[in-house]
Amino acid sequence: MKSHKPTIVWYQAVTCNGNTHSLLSASSSRLELFLNSFDLIYHPSLTIDTTLDDILKLKDIDFLLVEGAITSDEKYYSINQNSTKNILEKLSQKAKYIISVGSCASYGGVHKKFEQNDDILGVEEIIDTKKYKNLKHEIVNLTGCPVHPEWILQTVFSLNSFSRMSLDDEKRPRELYSNLAHHGCTRNEYFEWKVEGDFGQKEGCLFYDQGCRGPMTHSSCNKILWNDVSSKTRAGMPCIGCTEKDFPRENMLETKKNIGIPLDVPLGIPKRAYLSITGVAKTFKIDRLNKKLMD
Amino acid sequence: MKTVDIVERIEGEARLNCTWENGFVKDTQIDFLNFRGFEYILEGKPALDALVYTPRICGICGQAHLKATVEALENIYKSLNEELVITNKAKILREIGLNIEIIDSHIKWFYMFILPDVIKLKENDLKEYSPLKGKRWLEACKTASETIKALAIIGGQWPHTSYMIPGGVVSDPTLLDLTSMMNYLDLAINFFEDSIAGVSFDKYLSFNSVDDLNILNEDLKYFTNLSFEYSLQKYGTSYDRHLALSDSSISKRGKIRQRLTDKLDLNKIKENCDRTFKVEEDSKNKEKHTWSKAVTYNSMFYETGPFSRAMVSHREFIYELHKSYKDSVFTRVMARVDEIAHLLHSTKELIKQVDISEESYIKPKISLKDIPKANAKSVVEACRGSLYHNVSIEKGIITKYDVITPTVWNLGPAIKDEKGVAQKAIIGSPSLDIAKIVLRSFDVCSVCTTH
Ligand code: SF4
Ligand code: SF4
Repeated sequence: MKSHKPTIVWYQAVTCNGNTHSLLSASSSRLELFLNSFDLIYHPSLTIDTTLDDILKLKDIDFLLVEGAITSDEKYYSINQNSTKNILEKLSQKAKYIISVGSCASYGGVHKKFEQNDDILGVEEIIDTKKYKNLKHEIVNLTGCPVHPEWILQTVFSLNSFSRMSLDDEKRPRELYSNLAHHGCTRNEYFEWKVEGDFGQKEGCLFYDQGCRGPMTHSSCNKILWNDVSSKTRAGMPCIGCTEKDFPRENMLETKKNIGIPLDVPLGIPKRAYLSITGVAKTFKIDRLNKKLMD
Repeated sequence: MKTVDIVERIEGEARLNCTWENGFVKDTQIDFLNFRGFEYILEGKPALDALVYTPRICGICGQAHLKATVEALENIYKSLNEELVITNKAKILREIGLNIEIIDSHIKWFYMFILPDVIKLKENDLKEYSPLKGKRWLEACKTASETIKALAIIGGQWPHTSYMIPGGVVSDPTLLDLTSMMNYLDLAINFFEDSIAGVSFDKYLSFNSVDDLNILNEDLKYFTNLSFEYSLQKYGTSYDRHLALSDSSISKRGKIRQRLTDKLDLNKIKENCDRTFKVEEDSKNKEKHTWSKAVTYNSMFYETGPFSRAMVSHREFIYELHKSYKDSVFTRVMARVDEIAHLLHSTKELIKQVDISEESYIKPKISLKDIPKANAKSVVEACRGSLYHNVSIEKGIITKYDVITPTVWNLGPAIKDEKGVAQKAIIGSPSLDIAKIVLRSFDVCSVCTTH
């Protein structure tokens, strides 16, 4: 694979760099293949000989990966003595594919909560794709705070091979975001039989008290494991729904309830159906599920 | 002559302004121009949500912020004489997570953020140290990524888990989990032996004199040789005052001005905003040039970080290097890399101490929502030094949240005529390249500095 490699530019705007560190924590053989298959010509914290100015002089970029929210407010944020919005627009002119890496780039994320700066947006809200001649595809949103590194790799590889991806209403790749975080969680059986969990336990489901958003959150966190080893809900931390537009919500570590019943029920399930099933499931006291997994 | 240089390949971006005289830096100013307003974001939010927000201050040291938040919230209970019982197991699992994140950060910093610049003083071709491609660079990246898996086992993922909560931790690892965690750390120990220090781990840990530099091989030897060739053992000296606000598994709290003392009073920490932009005003004020605040202890600047921790805890090897090379770039870099070894050693020991039969979490009897009004502080030793959180809540809602990051101690601006720590260190540098290396030796993280 010595011929021309597609170029990637990683542009950082208003961010904590979490997606960069997520990428660096990818499965290392996959990351190496990625770095070998593409030419990552610019990343502000990794590459050494190219400056953003050099990149701005280029004619084309194959993949523009954006990390972080975008603002035009130079009082709060400037890169290279320019606003993050101006630079994004310039880079976007050159790109064949634009990928928003993480919830901040996708819709503002955590940074949008800084209300003193009322001009914090996601990439998609700024770039009118019709005006950008070079673009071959809609903007792809890889939501998540941070995004799973394997989702980045699969998306870039896939666009490079097939030039297309099927996206959902939020412009996220269907293949990565049709599942719910709940799918594949090791606590599923407890969910089924309504066995409530608590922090610090291997047993029980975190839906009833700890605020788990697994059943309402589109992601493949329990399908493609994190750092190759686990996921939040497997370890015992509730899903906080970081791939959805309403992240960060309020009271993320507790379940909102109405007369003891979770206010939000699993996605697409009629409340009545959910309540009936719950009622039935609760009448059985399953010994195995109420015991410790291991004594 | 004046120069302005944009510094990339740090966590974020900074601007380094230098005035030159006879080929040396005469004066300097460091600007951090980006501000995300986390303290503002936290105001009005439910207290427990801070456990989700503060790790997102920084993608590389989020667990330090998590630990600071959880301990600040627990200190609220303490301030009301309702101290929570945190099991030894939970305490250890928190310490382990924090340590692993520091190891990950230090490895990345050495190979991605400082070594390339030091090599560039001599060679244009970085060869195996080339970013993204070089064999050693990739090995370092792989080691960091394998190491962090040990944290993902108890945290579920990294970056950005909130596995610590008031009352303990959310996870309950098995003996096999603990074993796997040790395996991942062993991979890092192997890398340390084979590639970083080039001597056996035990031998390295017993280092206690300047002469031990001669035993080093591999990358630390390479770095040492380059340092002496380009006088990095002479540049970068600052106040040589050191501060560690908290204990850690490998270091003690304390400060060194002329003498060492472990008496610290958090009330003596003062922030200063004379040169700091303000959210409330559109400042055209010429004095103001950065979003970073300045911070002092008892009206004095102190350095913080791995080097200061080693000094305060009297860790032999670094202590001896300091006798010969003071608070130079060389000593500072060596101290950070040295910490990798000590952390790996101590973290493995900690894992062995976890008693899986203990509880991971004991639910607090009182909800923060039922507390009319309270305030508490916490301090944690993070990758780059001492981290301080100060939170006030009313009926479970945050009314004020103040964060002072390690990088504010090191990289903050001057107060009146007194230079900030890094600023003072940069003055006297003979070239822009060296000035930047001095700056980097503090492990610059612009996202933390301004948060
Ligand atoms: S913990 Fe969350 S993701 Fe897991 S089964 Fe329960 S609701 Fe689903
Ligand atoms: S489990 Fe939920 S909160 Fe965690 S990363 Fe996945 S979507 Fe985000």
